[in-house]
Amino acid sequence: MIASPALSQAAAARQWFLAREDLGALVEAIRDSGRRIIGPTVREGAIVYDEIHSAADLPAGWRDEQSAGRYRLEHATDQRVFGYTVGPTSWKRFTFPPNLTIASARRANAFGFEQPAPDVPPVAFLGVRACEIAALAIQDRVFLGGQFTDEDFRVRRSAALIVAVQCTTSSSTCFCTSMGTGPEVRGGHDIVLTEIDEGFVIQAGSPDGAAIVAKLPKRPPSHAEAGAAIDHVEAARVQMGEPLPMTGIGERLKLQLDHPRWAQVAERCVECGNCTMACPTCFCTSFIERSDLDGKSSTTERQWDSCFDVAFATVAGGDFRARPRDRYRQWLTHKFSTWWDQFDSSGCVGCGRCITWCPVRIDVREELAAIAPPIAPVIRPVAVEPVAASPGAYSIARLASVRAETEDTTTLTLTDLDPAFLSGRPGQFVMVALPAFPAVPISISRFRANAIDLTIRAVGPTSTALGNLHPGAKVGLRGPLGTFWPMEEAYGRHAVVVAGGVGLSPLHGLVDALAANCDRFESVSLFYGSRTPQDQLFREDLAAWTACKALDVAVTVDRAGPEWKGRVGVVTTLFDMISWDCSKVTAFVVGPERMMQASVQGLISKGVPADRIYVSMERHMECGIGLCGHCQMGGRFVCKDGPVFRLNDLGDTFNREGI
Amino acid sequence: MATPGRTARPRVAVAKFASCDGCQLTILDLEDQLLEIVSRFDIVEFPEATSRRSPGPYDIVFVEGSVSAPEHIDAVKELRKQARILVTIGACATAGGIQALRNWADHDAFRAAVYEHPEWIESLAMATPIAEHVKVDAELRGCPIDPGQLTELLTSVLVGRRPQIRDEAVCRECKRKGIVCIVVAKGEACMGPVTTSGCNALCPTYGRGCYGCFGPRANANARSWSAGLLKSGRPPEEVWRLFAGFTGYAEPFRAVITELGKTKG
Repeated sequence: MIASPALSQAAAARQWFLAREDLGALVEAIRDSGRRIIGPTVREGAIVYDEIHSAADLPAGWRDEQSAGRYRLEHATDQRVFGYTVGPTSWKRFTFPPNLTIASARRANAFGFEQPAPDVPPVAFLGVRACEIAALAIQDRVFLGGQFTDEDFRVRRSAALIVAVQCTTSSSTCFCTSMGTGPEVRGGHDIVLTEIDEGFVIQAGSPDGAAIVAKLPKRPPSHAEAGAAIDHVEAARVQMGEPLPMTGIGERLKLQLDHPRWAQVAERCVECGNCTMACPTCFCTSFIERSDLDGKSSTTERQWDSCFDVAFATVAGGDFRARPRDRYRQWLTHKFSTWWDQFDSSGCVGCGRCITWCPVRIDVREELAAIAPPIAPVIRPVAVEPVAASPGAYSIARLASVRAETEDTTTLTLTDLDPAFLSGRPGQFVMVALPAFPAVPISISRFRANAIDLTIRAVGPTSTALGNLHPGAKVGLRGPLGTFWPMEEAYGRHAVVVAGGVGLSPLHGLVDALAANCDRFESVSLFYGSRTPQDQLFREDLAAWTACKALDVAVTVDRAGPEWKGRVGVVTTLFDMISWDCSKVTAFVVGPERMMQASVQGLISKGVPADRIYVSMERHMECGIGLCGHCQMGGRFVCKDGPVFRLNDLGDTFNREGI
Repeated sequence: MATPGRTARPRVAVAKFASCDGCQLTILDLEDQLLEIVSRFDIVEFPEATSRRSPGPYDIVFVEGSVSAPEHIDAVKELRKQARILVTIGACATAGGIQALRNWADHDAFRAAVYEHPEWIESLAMATPIAEHVKVDAELRGCPIDPGQLTELLTSVLVGRRPQIRDEAVCRECKRKGIVCIVVAKGEACMGPVTTSGCNALCPTYGRGCYGCFGPRANANARSWSAGLLKSGRPPEEVWRLFAGFTGYAEPFRAVITELGKTKG
């Protein structure tokens, strides 16, 4: 029944046990109440909903195996009557018939149109699952919830007693938990059954249901029986696995109307419309006129139609949804997005029929994930605990290889490391020491499988000595230290990396990470400027990044000889190439301080929000752990609170001389 | 609807080219409505029913069969001149029919294999649908045609509206009837998703796959369907045979057959 009158709490809450052999008594009690019964029965290799004359018509000892485009019925090892999930039939067949004469008309004699009054004898739907109750409720909204209603549906729906069955198993195509409709029955029923080994736990949900339950040979369930009923439904839930991330799916889909996947799925889709026919909520119809030969009398027949039909959106001038992709998009966006706008509910209940009965195995769950993926949960990494954290203690690493980057800059690859260094994050640095030399802070330029790279410019005694080391040499390391690049802040945005000179070194690891996660960003770009072509770091990597489709790389030099074919000018001149919406940019900037100031100014003038710009600062460091006082910058220590800062957090210390 | 100045009843002719006459028989099979039909239509030419001959022009000409022999080409053009409305009926007239399978084969070898004196046989190397030769006003698909669609067409002529003949997948009729999909539940090969309706899902109702006799529907994705059949493990020969049935010469079935013919080697 559509709206069950309030039932006394006691009667509603009362559970009973019905022995398996007494299921026939339930069938008889329903029939005695003057109702014919529609329920599950085996036909044509499937469990369909059809007329049930006795309990023997119900499918005892069957289970179903369902996957995309495949349904098989198998003998079960038990004699359960409801040990399967939903089949090809949905209850709309009985509340919203596939063919219905809705009017007749006459031209001769008495000109006129007539609408037949629906005449629907009382009926019981036996074996209605939770997702199916949800589907009936959705069609209630569609047909009865607005200004104009469907009288035939109202009569058929009101005539039906709902005998629900809780699911105790699930198919691979089931996703009711994702749509919030099951597996447990939460209302909208007159009677609800839960099948357990010995029989059924049964409960009335309305006075009509209670009247039938009252006639059954029953007893209160034991604690074990009542517990089993709960456990079995819970098992069905567990079987379905993690619910799909459906939060915001309506809005997510609306943002993806131009996604290339629509065309791809349309190449597979054969537009048979089986999804719409099998769907328990799809409600589209067409009217067909049938008349006698001379058209003196006619009838109008309403037929289930499908938005996949070519003629469905056709007018005299053509088809509004001419391409298969338009039609597929219409269907999927209606089910999961625009249905909300029209009926304030989802158009999908997660029954999975559209998946099972698709002959080309299209799975809406896969399409949704590809077209409108959930915004990936952002897991913010925390910095690893550094090793040798006191200024005098060092962990020993071995120099595996040495590579000259420029005339004065060298990259050292260090191995035999404490694992903490490998767990460092791009943007962090290490304190490097050699006996007899003062320790220096060097950012980690690259994380390898079992090694890290340090790129060092020979400017002082330690850095010069480090640059002169040979493979096999040992160095002392403390770290990893400091803050790191918050790559996650750029998820779903345009990630822009701006590097000047050796500033590319602390950004190298970030560029690697951005490239590896490129599908999480709108785009990833690197703007790199150096004084001369000879001052460029990582030339091989630059070439590889340039070749990488996921990255947009633009390089410039301040001055160059005639052999240079690339751009000449400071790095900010590259910003002219920015064509995207800069409010959606997250920028990471490193270089000489003046270059950073110019770059930040350039980015802000383009519209990049200041709280979306990150910079890495350099200051004199002795200890690297905020104890020596050297690297103070305003209210912060660069070693401990930095070196990576959000621009806003630096306040006016960033642009000021002498801080 | 009648030709002005002539009889009140539309003059109807039924003509045939290369065909089995099964579609003409469908007209005779209308039994219950036949008397009503002849009271409203003047069937003046119907070789399957009567030896009476009556020259054109005609209001409606139903054409059965494909153009398969040299003399058919002029005959169909003459027929077109005599017809106010020309309606092709059946798989042969609308798609070339089963005889169009020779379009992918050696016509002379076929002739030699079938006939004792192939030199006495005058036939064209290709069997082609009527619409390749003359303008067609309406078509009734199927092998044979559906009596319901035929009466709908006759009704529409009398009432003066477009015939309500839908172009939708056989699957649609199958689902409305509540037939369990034999592709999904039994793994049968079926042409239903790419074939236009009209038969009321006759074959699937009896548990066998649709063999496509109504021909491809307007948006038939034959490429995806054949790819799916191959992917499910069916050998190319079997998929070829599925498409190369009564309507194989109609696009896009034709393209699939040609493509699979290549892989068949």
